[in-house]
Amino acid sequence: MSHEATTAGGLQRPDLQTETPNYDDAFDAVVVGAGLAGTAAALTMARDGLDVLMLERGPAPGTKNVFGGVLYTPTIRELVDIDDAPLERYIAEKRFSILSSDGDETAISMRPGAWRDDPHNDSYTVLRRRFDEWFAKQAVDAGVTLVTETTVTGLLRDGGAVVGVTTDRPDGEIHAPVVVLAEGANSLVSEGADLKERPERDAVAVSVKEVFKLDRDTIDDRFRLDGDAGAAYQYFGEGAVGEAVGGGFVYTNKRSVSVGVVYRVEDAAAGQTPEATLDAFESHPAVAPLIRGGRRIEYSAHVVPEGGARAMPDLVHDGAVVVGDAAGLVLNSGVHLEGTNMAVESGYHAGKAIAAALADDRSDAEALAAYTRDLDQSFVVENLRHYDWFQRTIAADRQFLFEDLPRALASAETEYFKMDRTSKDEHTGAARDHLVAAAGGWFGAAKRAWRFRRMLS
Amino acid sequence: MSTAQPHVPDVSIEDRLYTVKYRDAGESHLGVENPDVCADCTTNECTSVCPAAVWTVDPDGDGVPSIAYENCLECGTCRYGCPYDNVEWTYPKTGGGVVFKQG
Ligand SMILES: Cc1cc2nc3c(=O)[nH]c(=O)nc-3n(C[C@H](O)[C@H](O)[C@H](O)COP(=O)(O)OP(=O)(O)OC[C@H]3O[C@@H](n4cnc5c(N)ncnc54)[C@H](O)[C@@H]3O)c2cc1C
Ligand code: SF4
Ligand code: SF4
Repeated sequence: MSHEATTAGGLQRPDLQTETPNYDDAFDAVVVGAGLAGTAAALTMARDGLDVLMLERGPAPGTKNVFGGVLYTPTIRELVDIDDAPLERYIAEKRFSILSSDGDETAISMRPGAWRDDPHNDSYTVLRRRFDEWFAKQAVDAGVTLVTETTVTGLLRDGGAVVGVTTDRPDGEIHAPVVVLAEGANSLVSEGADLKERPERDAVAVSVKEVFKLDRDTIDDRFRLDGDAGAAYQYFGEGAVGEAVGGGFVYTNKRSVSVGVVYRVEDAAAGQTPEATLDAFESHPAVAPLIRGGRRIEYSAHVVPEGGARAMPDLVHDGAVVVGDAAGLVLNSGVHLEGTNMAVESGYHAGKAIAAALADDRSDAEALAAYTRDLDQSFVVENLRHYDWFQRTIAADRQFLFEDLPRALASAETEYFKMDRTSKDEHTGAARDHLVAAAGGWFGAAKRAWRFRRMLS
Repeated sequence: MSTAQPHVPDVSIEDRLYTVKYRDAGESHLGVENPDVCADCTTNECTSVCPAAVWTVDPDGDGVPSIAYENCLECGTCRYGCPYDNVEWTYPKTGGGVVFKQG
């Protein structure tokens, strides 16, 4: 076993010019991608005594990864001690806001006292570059061999079974009993090897994000925060993403603020460009003051799979499993945007299943099927199923939800709180009329309420 | 009601891309499968979905996009954006391409 190659605690960066050590047949499992899902799988397997090789195409884990974002840590916390992790802030406030393109904002904000207490509802802002590298280092400390700057280019087959990977390194074939495909949303290897189909355009969202540098006090004052408290603001409506279906976000880091939009590729293809969408969101009167004076320190972009439970591919194959975004495990329900917890949970269950199968000297799909079963019973698949209807429902109701409702709310608020010499009663009636009219009368409002009832159930 | 007043100073794509760190892989990891399909394509979705202005089609040219691969954020959107599945999309060679500092 070529474990000497891994210097304790250090991440290995093989010199591009020299030959890579021979990893062929030296490991029990090869993990493709050192993101959240891959690292969780690698760590779990190493703890169960397996020899694991994790391959990452970037110069370090995290260098290729982008998210909003709020990291959800219920499973990570079971795997590693997150007290030492590079967390930015815990989420003390969630705020949901609906923006019209006329500059109106209607928001609901929540700051339950319980979120201030450890472990802060397991929700923290992080920056992926720092977090992913730290997380991968925990796997290396547990015995995983990490090799960066190495792109997996395909899978090796014997008959139908996957028996290893090919890489872009000289002599880059690596045979191993099991391959974990943790390559994220752009899953070239899984697709190339027919383990899954490329998602359809209407099941994928594009996102663009910017990080603005602001000093800590400014962030604390603007968002009414203290200590390590942070805020997660989510935005909907035409003022957030224009004619598209999607949303915007503003998250506070320690000394920076992450701002971005996520919406269907379909809408971008129809002509609403990501840049213009981000520009409009950042200049909305409800958003602009939050980032005013901030220096742009990074622009980034990434796709998000949004196909939900229906788009999930087969998770196990002879000699291979698919985890995280590569398996489409992202929940985007409007209220929730979660993929980090699902990536880690799937990596964990996959790792456990592989260790159990290899203990019986097996790596066929049937032996690995415990992964599918366990994930099926976890919150991951349950949540994806529960919210499967959501994307379709909002797309069908876009005009109402994104254009009519934000305006009607603003008109109703203006009416309800109007200061003049008319009675409050009359204002209330007029305010109600605005809302009911936008919803298509009482009957329309009742139908809509029924359609969206599951959002909160 | 007044329309949204931009409070954020105008920013160009060049300003934005200037914040991004890259390692040049020396050769393009992007391409088109079949230039004839692009020549016949009138919608040029690749140009509108890309957040980094990598794809441009010269209105007076042959209709085949030129590709500024060195600006690519490796987001993957153009893979899905092209309705004819005509985008050739691979990863930059050995660790090349975008290197996010924040993510
Ligand atoms: C803009 C945006 C906002 C989001 N916001 C949130 C949020 O607030 N909260 C939340 O929970 N989730 C959020 N998500 C979703 C979340 O980011 C993902 O679900 C999660 O990152 C998936 O983890 P993963 O490990 O499966 O994939 P990734 O994190 O994408 O990791 C894949 C890894 O594999 C590597 N790789 C890929 N191909 C190869 C190859 N061939 N060879 C070697 N290495 C390879 C990549 O470089 C990368 O390191 C957001 C996503 C986006 C895009
Ligand atoms: S890549 Fe696709 S969308 Fe772009 S010009 Fe060619 S065919 Fe049209
Ligand atoms: S991957 Fe993203 S940034 Fe790169 S060319 Fe395609 S759409 Fe543009």
